[in-house]
Amino acid sequence: MTQPLLRLEGVTKVYRMGQVEVPALRGVDLTVDPGAFLAIMGPSGSGKSTLLHIAGLLDRPTSGRVLWAGDDVTSLGAARLAELRGRHIGFVFQTFNLIPTLSALENVELPLVFQGARPRERRQRAAELLAVVGLADRQRHRPGQLSGGERQRVAIARALVSDPQLILADEPTGNLDSAAGREILEMLRGLNERGKTLVLVTHDAEAAGVARNILRMRDGRIEGEA
Amino acid sequence: MTRDLFVLAVRNVLHRRLRSWLTVIGILIGTAAVVALISIGQGLQRSITQQVEQIMGFNTLLITPRGPGLQARVQLDLAALREVPGVKAAVAVRTETAFVQGPTRSGFLPLTGYDPAMEEFVAELHLKLAAGEGFSQRGQVVLGARAAELIGAKVGDVVTIEDRPFRVVGILAAQEEGRGDTAYGGIAVNDSLFVFYEDLKELFPGPDLAQYGFVKVAPGAEVSAVKAEVERVLAQTGTTEAEVIGFEELTQRIKTVLRGVQAFLAGIAGISILVGGIGVMNTMYTAVLERTREIGVMKAVGAKNSHILLLFLFESGLMGLVGGALGLLVGLGVAQTAAVVVGRLFQVERGFSAAVSVGLVIGALLFSFGVGAISGLLPARRAALLPPVEALRYE
Repeated sequence: MTQPLLRLEGVTKVYRMGQVEVPALRGVDLTVDPGAFLAIMGPSGSGKSTLLHIAGLLDRPTSGRVLWAGDDVTSLGAARLAELRGRHIGFVFQTFNLIPTLSALENVELPLVFQGARPRERRQRAAELLAVVGLADRQRHRPGQLSGGERQRVAIARALVSDPQLILADEPTGNLDSAAGREILEMLRGLNERGKTLVLVTHDAEAAGVARNILRMRDGRIEGEA
Repeated sequence: MTRDLFVLAVRNVLHRRLRSWLTVIGILIGTAAVVALISIGQGLQRSITQQVEQIMGFNTLLITPRGPGLQARVQLDLAALREVPGVKAAVAVRTETAFVQGPTRSGFLPLTGYDPAMEEFVAELHLKLAAGEGFSQRGQVVLGARAAELIGAKVGDVVTIEDRPFRVVGILAAQEEGRGDTAYGGIAVNDSLFVFYEDLKELFPGPDLAQYGFVKVAPGAEVSAVKAEVERVLAQTGTTEAEVIGFEELTQRIKTVLRGVQAFLAGIAGISILVGGIGVMNTMYTAVLERTREIGVMKAVGAKNSHILLLFLFESGLMGLVGGALGLLVGLGVAQTAAVVVGRLFQVERGFSAAVSVGLVIGALLFSFGVGAISGLLPARRAALLPPVEALRYE
């Protein structure tokens, strides 16, 4: 049996809003095997984004364990977590989250900057990936000069630039028209076919349809496979 | 990577151009004020020191009556002072009011006695002869410009001072009104007549009380040792009311006063740098708020807290440094202009010029960078410690 890439064990997350405690996750177990393409579906407020953030090491669970490639990373320091994110996890967000002052090429380069890569190497790598997502001629454009679909493709190139083992996508088609949305989903499926592990969070059944497995979430719990 | 962060910081500062410039101007004004004041102060100090040196010279001791007032006098035993080893010459300057009869008119005029043993004396008071020459023998007199005019005397005339005849051998050029027309001890140079000290002493028997005295130290002698010895001799000969001041001390005193004034003014100007620093802090807090999501994104793609901290510190330090560099230029310009204007206003020939020291330049740049970086510390810390999820979720 292969080692799971990511495992969440009994993960809960409680947010405090002043005096009120709001439970977002009420005990979630999740296993992501290498090569998987998992969609997590659920209505807004079901805790799917929180789950993705914890899986992406952006947030810490209130209780439970997070295992990355078999190692417990639940209580690792912030710097170590940043390093793991930078090298092994790529993020694609609903709102693209590109840095507006940087060009498309520079946005794609950014993760490599924090890893201390040489300027020439990282520029070359970023240019390659922009070409892969079909934006070879948009290198110098700022995010503001690109369409929504193009921006999301830049974001995908950025997510791929450090050749991560896991890609996490949070409603990647939420801000796109249906044509651009389909294009992005096809691109994600293509990545999975070439061996990347993906977790996609969405409330859109059509988007979830590109995944191999779909999990349904409600009220902070995984209700089962659809 | 530090270089990349710096480049990123430069771009961020350039991106919010207007706000960055406004922030920079805050630092600029403060730095300019401090630099201008220090530069003017240093320039003044230098020029005063030079002038004192010109008047007194390094190897001169000034003996003045202790205590305030131009009427104060001191009794000097010049013969005893000349015996002190290392003393080249000792002279006293004494002025009395004498009844003078000239070819056309008579009247009471100040009569100054001094010793031409100290030949430089005339030069040191910036006295210039308009006619004739300085006296070389007893019984000769040199007239101040107005004194000569008042009594109608020319070179070669004989004037009567306190019933004794003196031959006029020289007449001084008129000193400019308001400055230079009185020398040390309040001698009105234009109005005065100048004779040998011994002549004056004979005309005015009584106690020999001088306005002040000069001791020239022989070349090679230790000034401080001679000074101590002079003080001892003065005390021995019963002169307790005298103060011996060397060149070093005199310039030191002037410097101390100037430095105090300078520190006070620079302190006040420093407040404006503080205000500039608060401006930097404000700008950086705003930047952190505006770029919260950006910070979240950078953390998501692998930026550590230290990277974010450094990025924001670079941005604030950069604004401080640019403000400091420009402020330095403006400050030196202001100081230079002030020096020229003051020179014109008071018609000083060799007026002061603003001083530019390496220390001032480096100090100003380091200080302004420091102000920027320190002002940015709290905002940068806030940015660095933002939890990535909250930063990403920030609307």
